[in-house]
Amino acid sequence: MSEQLILASECDVANEVICAPADVKELFELPTIFHIGDIAITRTILLIFLAAFIVVALLYFGLRKGNVIPSKFQAIVESLVQFVRKDVAEDIIGPEGVKYAPYLTAMFLFLLVGNLFEVTPLVNFPITSRMAIPAFLAIVTWLIFVIVGFYKNGFSYFLDIVWPKAVPIGLRWLVGLIELFSTFLLRPLTLAVRLFANLVAGHLMLTLLLGSGVIFIWNFADAGAKSLVGIAWFAFGLGIYLFEIVVAVLQAYIFTLLSAVYIQSSVHPEH
Amino acid sequence: MLYALSTVLILAAEEAEETGNIGLVLPESYELVAGIIAFGIVFFFVWKWAFPAIDKMLEDRQRAIKGQMEDAEATKAEAQSLLDDYRKQLAEAKGEAAGIVNEARESAEAMKTDIVAKAQAEAERIGTKARADAATERDRALASAKVEVANLSIDLAELVVGENLDRTAQLGLVERYLADLERMSD
Repeated sequence: MSEQLILASECDVANEVICAPADVKELFELPTIFHIGDIAITRTILLIFLAAFIVVALLYFGLRKGNVIPSKFQAIVESLVQFVRKDVAEDIIGPEGVKYAPYLTAMFLFLLVGNLFEVTPLVNFPITSRMAIPAFLAIVTWLIFVIVGFYKNGFSYFLDIVWPKAVPIGLRWLVGLIELFSTFLLRPLTLAVRLFANLVAGHLMLTLLLGSGVIFIWNFADAGAKSLVGIAWFAFGLGIYLFEIVVAVLQAYIFTLLSAVYIQSSVHPEH
Repeated sequence: MLYALSTVLILAAEEAEETGNIGLVLPESYELVAGIIAFGIVFFFVWKWAFPAIDKMLEDRQRAIKGQMEDAEATKAEAQSLLDDYRKQLAEAKGEAAGIVNEARESAEAMKTDIVAKAQAEAERIGTKARADAATERDRALASAKVEVANLSIDLAELVVGENLDRTAQLGLVERYLADLERMSD
């Protein structure tokens, strides 16, 4: 609601076609709720902890009884966890995927809840549209696959990347250079930016479309016939809303999947 | 005072202009710390609690299914052996019953033959006796009739002759005559 209030205070419904804040930061830098010492606890920080709490609660209440014949809720939580464990960790990385399954599962569930905050009523803010979480997880994935690569294969891990034997000798230096650049720099960067940018775009569209729609319709006295534009924005926003549910789930999955693929490439570099 | 405040505001605005929106793409430090702590909590919970819980549950489930399948297998084997027993007993009982029925039929047959034979013999005996009785009765009646006829003949003759006849002699005569008749009729 806070974004809509900001929008409403600035929006000139008679002259604007769409209500946009003066500074896009207003949509992403949420207000401080309280202070702990000098630390400003913003709504974003609270939502980050709320996401963790939801994941822990989901797992706890889903798995605490451990019934042999599961309830519907238990079956859903179980299949969610087993999906990452078996279909992502073990199927992509192989038998050694078991070791990385806790990381990948925690990542998937945390990102899933964090992304779905975008379309959760009353929350309406994806914590992954702030760079902190995508960047942190991308760096952890990067650290894992680099360390595992060197640990498993020694220095040949690096040599195989910069001097790929499968490539004709004339092109080897070029492919090596591209691989070096892509493996150690582009991988973590694209991983983080893909998630971040998708959620930024989604949040931006939802707040602008739904917010403008509501404001135009609400202020029909000032907007007059233009409040019809508001109806169009709102309808379009609802379409995007459904689309964003898919994006939220998909981006959590893609981030986890790519992390698994990168780790796999270090565990078995020949593939 | 007002001037100082507006200067501060303008400076702040300029500073914001300079940094532009690049701040949106860079992680904010408090959020980063919050994210690390929050993810850490999730990770440890998944690692130390959720996975062991799910593993235990899967093992329990596997054991339960295995146990149930073994139970079912045992029950099935027991049922099969019971069925075999019943079939065997049924076959035996059927054989026995057939034997009993055959025996009964044979004995009934024998009894029937016996009864019929006895009845026939009895009928024969009764018939023979009846015939014998009838013959005796006839003879007796005939003898009695002879004597009566003789006496009547003598009485008649006495009436005709008008005197007493020698009854003994006359009787002998009548009897001879009757005996002659009998002989002739034979």
